[in-house]
Amino acid sequence: MSTSFVRPVETKPLRLSGSQPFTQQPGVFIMIGERTNVAGSPKFAKLIKEGKFEEAVSIARQQVENGANVLDICMDEGMIDGVAAMTRYLHLLASEPEVAKVPFMVDSSKWEVIEAGLQCLQGKGIVNSISLKEGEETFRHHAATVMKYGAAAVVMAFDEQGQAATLEDKIRICERAYRILAEDGFPPEDIIFDPNILTVATGMEEHNNYALDFINAARWIKQNLPHAKVSGGVSNISFSFRGNNKVREAMHSAFLYHAIAAGMDMGIVNAGLLVVYDEIEPELKEFVEDVLLNRRPDATERLVVYGEKLKAAGAGEGGSERKTEEWRSAPVEERLSHALVKGIDEHIEQDTEEARQKLGRPLAVIEGPLMDGMGVVGDLFGAGKMFLPQVVKSARVMKKAVAYLTPFMEAEKAAMAAAGEAVRTQGKIVLATVKGDVHDIGKNIVGVVLACNNYEVIDMGVMVPAEKILERAKSENANVIGLSGLITPSLDEMVHVAREMERQGFKLPLLIGGATTSRAHTAIKIAPHYSQPVVHVLDASRAVPVATSLLSEENRPAFVEQHRAEYEALRKSHAAPRQKTVPIEAARERRAPIAWRAEDLATPSFTGVRVLDQFPLAQLREFIDWTPFFHTWELKGVYPRIFEHPEQGVQARQLFAEANVLLETIVEKKLLTARGVYGFFAASAIDDDVELYTDSAREAALMRLHFLRQQSDWGGNEPCRSLADFIAPKETGLGDFMGAFAVTTGIGLKELCDSFRARHDDYNAIMAEAIADRLAEAFAECLHKRAREEWGYGCRERLSNEELIHEKYRGIRPAPGYPACPDHTEKGTIWRLLDVEANTGMRITESFAMWPGSSVSGLYFAHPQSRYFQVGKIERDQVEDYAARKGMSVAEAERWLGPNLNYEPAG
Amino acid sequence: MSNAHPHPLEKLLASRIAVLDGAMGTTIRNYGMTEADIRGERSDARFRDAKKDLLNDGDLFTLTQPQMIGDIHRRFLEAGADMIETNTFGATTIAQSEFFLGDPREQGARKDPAFYQKVIEDPFLKNLAWEINEQSARQCRVWADRVGEATGRQRFVAGAIGPLTVSLSNSPDAEDAGFRVVTFNQVKTAYAEQVHALMAGGVDTLLVETIFDSLNAKAALVAIQEVFAEVGKKLPVMISAAVGRGGETMISAQTVEAFWTAVEHVKPLSVGLNCSLGPDLMAPFLRELSEKANVAISCYPNAGLPNPLSPTGFDLQPEDMARYLGAFAREGLINIAGGCCGNTPEHIAAIAKAVEGVPPRKVEARASSALASAA
Repeated sequence: MSTSFVRPVETKPLRLSGSQPFTQQPGVFIMIGERTNVAGSPKFAKLIKEGKFEEAVSIARQQVENGANVLDICMDEGMIDGVAAMTRYLHLLASEPEVAKVPFMVDSSKWEVIEAGLQCLQGKGIVNSISLKEGEETFRHHAATVMKYGAAAVVMAFDEQGQAATLEDKIRICERAYRILAEDGFPPEDIIFDPNILTVATGMEEHNNYALDFINAARWIKQNLPHAKVSGGVSNISFSFRGNNKVREAMHSAFLYHAIAAGMDMGIVNAGLLVVYDEIEPELKEFVEDVLLNRRPDATERLVVYGEKLKAAGAGEGGSERKTEEWRSAPVEERLSHALVKGIDEHIEQDTEEARQKLGRPLAVIEGPLMDGMGVVGDLFGAGKMFLPQVVKSARVMKKAVAYLTPFMEAEKAAMAAAGEAVRTQGKIVLATVKGDVHDIGKNIVGVVLACNNYEVIDMGVMVPAEKILERAKSENANVIGLSGLITPSLDEMVHVAREMERQGFKLPLLIGGATTSRAHTAIKIAPHYSQPVVHVLDASRAVPVATSLLSEENRPAFVEQHRAEYEALRKSHAAPRQKTVPIEAARERRAPIAWRAEDLATPSFTGVRVLDQFPLAQLREFIDWTPFFHTWELKGVYPRIFEHPEQGVQARQLFAEANVLLETIVEKKLLTARGVYGFFAASAIDDDVELYTDSAREAALMRLHFLRQQSDWGGNEPCRSLADFIAPKETGLGDFMGAFAVTTGIGLKELCDSFRARHDDYNAIMAEAIADRLAEAFAECLHKRAREEWGYGCRERLSNEELIHEKYRGIRPAPGYPACPDHTEKGTIWRLLDVEANTGMRITESFAMWPGSSVSGLYFAHPQSRYFQVGKIERDQVEDYAARKGMSVAEAERWLGPNLNYEPAG
Repeated sequence: MSNAHPHPLEKLLASRIAVLDGAMGTTIRNYGMTEADIRGERSDARFRDAKKDLLNDGDLFTLTQPQMIGDIHRRFLEAGADMIETNTFGATTIAQSEFFLGDPREQGARKDPAFYQKVIEDPFLKNLAWEINEQSARQCRVWADRVGEATGRQRFVAGAIGPLTVSLSNSPDAEDAGFRVVTFNQVKTAYAEQVHALMAGGVDTLLVETIFDSLNAKAALVAIQEVFAEVGKKLPVMISAAVGRGGETMISAQTVEAFWTAVEHVKPLSVGLNCSLGPDLMAPFLRELSEKANVAISCYPNAGLPNPLSPTGFDLQPEDMARYLGAFAREGLINIAGGCCGNTPEHIAAIAKAVEGVPPRKVEARASSALASAA
């Protein structure tokens, strides 16, 4: 069945605004939230009557979160002062940025309330409603006022004789109203007819055609009154099935399905309570449509009987909203546990307070129901039944509960200290990203997971020097120290911290984590420097068992024993075979075989440096490679196949949806700034270096890049590659070019994360970091595409994002610190070459990490035969040669190249 | 809704980029005025005996130093401005109350709608506001016509309507986000009186400018429409918002497109951006507005960012402003070019030269949204 509805091409969309613009999109139904209407929500009515306006704001927020495009606000109730309530509520909504972004519908049958509402709208809203009920003069007057304030208007199919029920009356009144408005210059696209959705299945025969009458009126209006819109209050249709939500939801969905097909543009609906048309049970759908489309005389009777049957089967009251609220009636301990497992923070303070009163002491709440709840979370996580994003959400709820209890705890602690008791937690852990490194997403996740398990986590942030970490561990009496780092130079810094701990006589276990760390490196390079356990933690899910074992008096000896044995075995197995290598001179003989031809070389459209400031984030979205994003959250799979994963699929979809909500906000509100710089330079290879020139004659040298060469001897003809092999050697006399770039999307990230953390929302803080990282990579991909186009050869490529991600294009963009160019210090050359700091504000730390995080830099090579490879293990002869070329000491070169050395450096 | 015959300003905007004047405040500072100067003749007790310092109430110079203000208008006109703004940015009862009424907060009370009701009913403030608006309009009229005749080029007077010192969108009370110091109707009343007086003084157009708070601007626009209905005469309306670095109105945080959607119904002669940012930072938002709005686009940025070491107090020199606005013109973004804070007559001369001969941005022939013509 075709669902498409053909509009006249020239129909003007409805355009509205709050603090953000809203433009009707063709074929997209506009949802008007009804819960901020005293008639639409008893809860809202109660709050308003009790004067609890601030609490009532949260209902508006939920509506927006549930996808309402416009909020209907109505205060029409005998006990409420409409003008005052409308004014106060709209003032409060104006101060709530998440709500204020959407347009508001000012809904009242009293004109003074409408006008009071209009006086509070900074954007363009909707008046609900005007009509011919009180005659033409009043109608014209009201329409003129709406025009003066700049709003759209709902026009009810109502005239001096009353409400239009039949199709003929609806058409007659709407046509007349349209003509009058046209005469007065009312913009036709701002006219929204409400041709009255009236209740069907009342048992009165004359009501049987009401649904069809509305649908047909909608179709007539759209075909005959140019640009006019059609709206309606959907829940009216099913009023005779009050108390039977299953039938009502099915009726609403089926009704909307047909009315939208006829041209209905928008409706007042409960966005959280709509079933998908295709998911209505076929039998129920048939009965419902018989009623709505007036297909048989006994339709009502049949639906009533069927509805009763459903109700009797216990499904009738099972409206999804009800079900979710059922847990609220459980005892407080269960409610807390439920809130933690489900990550619901809505009632957490209230429940925490209730538990505090019940249990007498704040600590009893934490150690009792809250820890029990987190225990459940931990068990489910451990069993693979909960995923990291959910755990982080649970932690957010836990944090809010603890934040609520903190003032009570402070008082209690003082009392306990006075009584000489110690405050008990599982243990205290000092976490830090080591000096020179700025990466902390993983560490933040570990912190949250540990905190969930009642560890007191002291997160010292990033770029923390060893002495600060150790001082803090002492002053806090910590039980464990955890170090994190992402770039390879951080590995050395971790060794330094371990040595310092030994020197200062520390007795604490040391945990090591981060993307470049490994069990082997920890066992071989770090553990030997410290006599206490040094344990590599692979990911967040392992942090808790490791910490728990290390701190348990019972389990610790066995754990430490086993751990030592494992690491010893690792050291032994590693010590034995070294990689077979060839001398550097022989390796150079085996350079990547490229026959140099002028036609393989591309000349870029410019040379020199270009800066990109405030690069539009919206353009970067399409370049995002989502797979690593899921890895950040420890969901292992490939996007988009991960959505079909039997266990992780549901979680992955939700995570993806939430990521996109935040990403949308980031893009819309420009919460992050993307900046970059790139350039092309004339270049020639000289042995394993590439010389860059300021001129095309290649006489005035600008800078030199130094590359390493593979020395592993794999046997056979496999070449020993170096990046220098992909640039035309000077002796060929060919004019080759090389590019370089540095981009960041991390400007503003810290502020964004801090704002989330201030609200105890680590979930979104981590989400923001993960998104910023993806945007930075997307920026690199996007810029590379542009670079290829400016290089000429890229203009002919037609690649999908997936193909881009799999790098199916000509040329490469290796980054210093990665396998083809493992020396991080080459970033220094890029920084000088592009004047990165002055041009973008990006800096490099003493360990050559880029600041801010979420930054990418690298080099562009264009030759068709250029490819990625791993330098792998290298020998002393190359290191000595490399150190001489770079003008650094051999010891320093060895320090930067530690992981690549195929020998034990002296000292 | 629109007038039957195109206003001469509409014709001007269709033929070329019009030039608006620069900063009154910045230019006044170069005359070295003192507190005694702004109080003027000793015979006017209103200012002689005022308890607060008045030097920052620049609109008062219209009454106390008319020669200097006239000189500034003349210099801007001679620099090439097609349109000069009245010196009435703060000439409302509400804005003037800051200088002439005691602050209730000093007595432990607060500013609230009861306080502002007294303000808008205060005969002293009402007279003062009327006088500044009407006098300034007349002074501008004289100079615009005089220079116009001398150069054979018609000049126009825009009645400047500023943003006020109070906000309808924000609560100053951290404890109560629902509180407002002033009501919509009070703001509307203050603006309506200003509009009446400007029209009485003979302005050609009304310019609602430096809009920090879109709801304040809406009150001004409602006031304007009501005054037009009352006096049975319409003038073209120009609208200009002040946005921050994120492209949102500074107080009410509304994006440029949302703002345009909210004021479009007034069918203004132009909409644009001024103040708050220099031309470089303004550019992306100007582009957005130019793309969305189907009326003339005005642009009169600050001369960059404040810089206490520069003689004008702002970063950009005349040639800098000329370069930016010239580039906007050539990009086809603007119909009206001028300067806000930090722009002297020299800046305006440079801007006028930079946009001279550059074709104006094409305003889409507005598909009339009135049904009568659609049917």
